[in-house]
Amino acid sequence: MNNRIKEFRARYSLTQEDLAKKVNVRRETIVFLEKNKYNPSLKLAHDIAIVFDTRIEEIFIFE
Amino acid sequence: MKKGIVVLIVAMLALITTGLWLFSSSGNLKPFDKVSFGIIILVVAFAFFVGYKRLASAKRGEPPEDELSKKVMQKTSALSYYISLYLWLAIMYFSDRLDYETHTVIGAGILGMAVVFAVCWMVFNFTGVRNE
Repeated sequence: MNNRIKEFRARYSLTQEDLAKKVNVRRETIVFLEKNKYNPSLKLAHDIAIVFDTRIEEIFIFE
Repeated sequence: MKKGIVVLIVAMLALITTGLWLFSSSGNLKPFDKVSFGIIILVVAFAFFVGYKRLASAKRGEPPEDELSKKVMQKTSALSYYISLYLWLAIMYFSDRLDYETHTVIGAGILGMAVVFAVCWMVFNFTGVRNE
């Protein structure tokens, strides 16, 4: 599974730390997500989608 | 935050106890004791690292634990348990061939388990956990 978190983060001018605080996880989790080293839970994917005001499938690409 | 402080306090107590043991032995340490001391220092350093990470997260306003850290802990526990079974098997095999007292062998096993846990945690924490 790939994701476009980095792209959306840049669009919204958010740092990894900002996003981490908004979705209530540690910054390391965002780092691992962006490196595709961790697949988030449905809840975290949903929370990230809400922050970026879009749908989950716009951010997370299932291959 | 509280858990991080508890981890640091426990690590400090372990360090003080080891220091007292070292002080009371007044330099008459056997090679096995020196290895044990080194391993205890490694485990305490690991505990300090974990405690510091938790406190640093809390300081930044992030949760000390989240879904990734819980998953890392879950995977670490499972793998270290599996490896520890083989560790105890090896200890049982060698305990018949080496002349060590029972409490020394059990102590080595417990320290070995702590090291296995620390190594597994490091691996999962720095390489990530993929659900695939």
